[in-house]
Amino acid sequence: MRNYYIQRILSAILTLFLIASLTFFMMHAIPGGPFSRERSLPPQIQQHLEEKYNLDDPLIKQYFDYMVGLITFDVGLSFKKPGYSVSELITLGLPYSMEVGFYAILLIILLGVPLGIISALKQNKPVDYFVMFIATLGVTVPSFVVANLFLYFLAYKGGYISVLWPTEPGINPTFLQFLGPVVALSGYSLSFVSRLTRSSMLEVMRQDYIRTARANGIPRSKVIFKHALKNALIPAITYLGPMIAGILTGSFVVEKVFSIPGIGQYFTQSVTDRDYTVIVGTTAFYAALYIVMILLVDVAYSLIDPRIRLGKRSE
Amino acid sequence: MNKVAYNNFDFLPPEAKSDKEQTRPSLTYWKDSWRRLRRNKGAMVGLFGILAIVLFAVIGPLFTQFTYDQQVNKYKNVEPFLNVYEVDEGVFVFVNIDYYAYQISEKGELIDRLSGKRPEKNIAEGIWRYHYNLNGKDLILDYSYKQVPEKAGEGIAYSFIYDGVEYKEKAKTVWNKTYPLGTDNLGRDMLSRLMEGARISLLVAVVATVVNLFIGITYGAIAGYAGGRTDDIMMRIIDIIDSIPLLLYVILLMVVLNDTGLQTIILTLGLVYWVGMARMVRGQVLQLKEQEYVLAARMIGVPKHKIVFRHLIPNALGPILVSMTMMIPTAVFTEAFLSFIGLGVSAPHASWGTLANDGARSIQTAFYQLLEPSIGIALAMLSFNFFGDGMRSAFDPRLRRG
Amino acid sequence: MRLFQEDILKNIQFEDDLILKVDHLQTTFYTHMGQVKAVRGVSFDLRKGEILGIVGESGSGKSVTAMSIMGLVDEPGRVSGGSIRYGNLELTKLKDSEMNQLRGKEISMIFQDPMTSLNPVFTIGQQLKEVILTHTSLTGAEAHERAIQLLRMVGIPEPELRVRQYPHQFSGGMRQRVMIAMAVSCNPKVLIADEPTTALDVTIQAQILELIQNLKTKLDSTVILITHDLGVVSEICTKVNVMYGGLVMESSDVIDLFENPQHPYTNGLLQSVPINVRGEKARLIPIDGTPPDLLKPPSGCPFSPRCPHTMGICQKEAAPLFRINDRHCAACWLHSPEAPQVPGYVQSKVGEE
Repeated sequence: MRNYYIQRILSAILTLFLIASLTFFMMHAIPGGPFSRERSLPPQIQQHLEEKYNLDDPLIKQYFDYMVGLITFDVGLSFKKPGYSVSELITLGLPYSMEVGFYAILLIILLGVPLGIISALKQNKPVDYFVMFIATLGVTVPSFVVANLFLYFLAYKGGYISVLWPTEPGINPTFLQFLGPVVALSGYSLSFVSRLTRSSMLEVMRQDYIRTARANGIPRSKVIFKHALKNALIPAITYLGPMIAGILTGSFVVEKVFSIPGIGQYFTQSVTDRDYTVIVGTTAFYAALYIVMILLVDVAYSLIDPRIRLGKRSE
Repeated sequence: MNKVAYNNFDFLPPEAKSDKEQTRPSLTYWKDSWRRLRRNKGAMVGLFGILAIVLFAVIGPLFTQFTYDQQVNKYKNVEPFLNVYEVDEGVFVFVNIDYYAYQISEKGELIDRLSGKRPEKNIAEGIWRYHYNLNGKDLILDYSYKQVPEKAGEGIAYSFIYDGVEYKEKAKTVWNKTYPLGTDNLGRDMLSRLMEGARISLLVAVVATVVNLFIGITYGAIAGYAGGRTDDIMMRIIDIIDSIPLLLYVILLMVVLNDTGLQTIILTLGLVYWVGMARMVRGQVLQLKEQEYVLAARMIGVPKHKIVFRHLIPNALGPILVSMTMMIPTAVFTEAFLSFIGLGVSAPHASWGTLANDGARSIQTAFYQLLEPSIGIALAMLSFNFFGDGMRSAFDPRLRRG
Repeated sequence: MRLFQEDILKNIQFEDDLILKVDHLQTTFYTHMGQVKAVRGVSFDLRKGEILGIVGESGSGKSVTAMSIMGLVDEPGRVSGGSIRYGNLELTKLKDSEMNQLRGKEISMIFQDPMTSLNPVFTIGQQLKEVILTHTSLTGAEAHERAIQLLRMVGIPEPELRVRQYPHQFSGGMRQRVMIAMAVSCNPKVLIADEPTTALDVTIQAQILELIQNLKTKLDSTVILITHDLGVVSEICTKVNVMYGGLVMESSDVIDLFENPQHPYTNGLLQSVPINVRGEKARLIPIDGTPPDLLKPPSGCPFSPRCPHTMGICQKEAAPLFRINDRHCAACWLHSPEAPQVPGYVQSKVGEE
């Protein structure tokens, strides 16, 4: 059992390493540095800037510095926002992304799973069709469409909320303010989780061991919520891990539309600005978070499903 | 059926014993799946939507007066539905977002933009006006109603004054027949641009999916058929690629390649999303290669690549088709998403994503410019998803009957 | 365990040793393709101490009969007619929550495929204890002890260790033993075994059958054994019902059935199977034709299309059960006094049942 965990952790570290390196080299493969896109700078100034940012060091040294920096969480300074280090930017943006993300995750788990269960139990009845229809909409209508619709109707047309995200200290966003981004952010995942829970419940309810439980006189509610659910949640958990990472970091688009100063915003901004260190730094951060979540999911998985934990052995 | 009546206790000759044959007409996998697909209402609605969009993209441009990049300066930011005011017998005017006034026919055909726009503003006296020339006389737009508190009670945003008469209420709302979906901020016809957007979005999505198909199928088939070490390594590679959201790769690639042309986008999408297809094909191949006909083919000495391409892949076509149908909306979405964050196709080409991005800038003043492409994207994705869902259920061999 | 429910078993009474009386049971599945009449009028009595074998091919209705008794027939099917009496309780009129008081406690069932019949995410012990705690008032610790005891009783070595293990750590035969342990954990009066050995090796088969027999004696219960295998029937059953097309074709003491079959279908079965109770050499003769389509069941006797001795009346009306002797009856018009004699086929002609 311990082998399983060690293997997983090593694998995660390796992947992280690869991703970070990949990102680094990709960024440096771009012809011209970050400064060559501005209106032509006098060559001395350009050279001076490059020196300052160590861009004139041999690539290997830059790579080495970068990797070392990565471990100490120092990923360099932002090119385009002078004075800010990348880690500072990440720390600045994280709370905003996480706040919205947290509510989104809550919504997904507390609404998505029960809806899926209800749909499965009342299969092919009106409730099922209705829920599944909404879920299909949620999966297909893109998040930026939803986000813009919310922004338009709540902020511009209705004037219920401010157009910009409140960022002054002491002022907390209202419920309505959160409604737009949370729904836009969670829309896809909420629907996906509902559908997933539903289909996996349906699958599980058809299994022989459910029939056994019923044949032994176990009350129906226990059969559903104890025997079936535990098995049905396994695929949902697999999805939940990476989903949480994605949501906590804030969808790029949702943050842009609602002017939320989260990590997603910084990422998209850095992409447009070609601010390399920020791009590399945030990508590494995303990747790290993602991989950690997958690791956690694997652990949770093994706790629920004993076949994974103990290895499949039949006598 | 025999008409001869048999006595109750006589033995029946063999012909009289009607043995209802249990055989139903045997359907091939394809015919059965197609039948199931046709019955699925959602899938048919989706298919209808897809066809409608394709027609819109391909044939639509034949029916519009304008091209997607034709700019008509005087008709910038004209809405599709206009509040027109009848300021004189048979003379209808309206004002656009930028406070230009236009004359329009009663049926909705644009006549011309009024010349001589000049502002008249005196805040202290509560005068907020624009003047225009209409048929030699002075047309006044009074928009003080929202600026001056005393006038707020009247509940209107503006009024027209012509020939001494003030018109506070619109005569009617008319549908803009010259530009059925309005114009954008450069005077380009939204309808034509949407058609162009449809073409680009679909083109990108389909071609990228086809590229994905080739890469994915080949990779997956090889991994699945080879098995053993090769398979392990190949799947490891996929696992590593898969460990961060594919969207990140797309964004990074786009930044690196630094070129937002059509080909680049298609290439980028094609190079990233094949992993899903590869996984699925590998799974199918793993299952299929244990089948007896594969064993038989190997026994006869059919070379490996022939087995893969002529036996295994055609039999995996069902799930492959389904995957393909589901990949198209992902590609549409990704392209739109990229455009929305500024990495999409560049002007003057317009995909729905770029249109949405452009429209988002005028969300407050010209919401229709954002709404129209958004609806387009949503409809496309809905159609493909419904159809794809239907395909998935129809081609599921476990649900086969007959 | 049940707080607000009336105890169904409060006033239960049994007459003589008649445990279960099934009378003209009909179970139908209402599908979008039509009504599938799986059980079309089955009647039999189950007396204490019997091991009743229900034999038939797939589609004969034998499993559905058992599920109907247990009340486990789910949408789109349901019991559409007839009665099932357990003592003086009419089972067809009970609610699901009321049936739960009986299932696992009074009437238990084990199923065909042991590999998938146990919940993979709970230990054997947890699953056993759950059944025990549901139907008895034992404490958790007592239930744990009982679980170990049960495992020992069904022949699982090292039960104290095994009770904490998961299903995937057991082989097929062991899992079936666990299933049996679960089924007998509350001393049920009736144990229904639906093809318990079909998915197992032949060697394990014999062990499982022996186990069932032993337990029946030890716990003084009655068994219904469903199978398509006449060999199994000959091993442990005391009485046999032969089913075909949703109806009982012949019902008899086991020895009588093999020595003196009185239905063309039973005859056909015996001739097509490579066991020969009489120890003679004989050819394998399969039965022509295919089982009936239960969506459109044939009028008259379901076996008539394939019967070598079909008569006019066989196509018009299904035969009632004719009594051959006090332990043997057959649903075949050949037993009617008006029927002609068939050369080479021994029929006794007695009156209707």
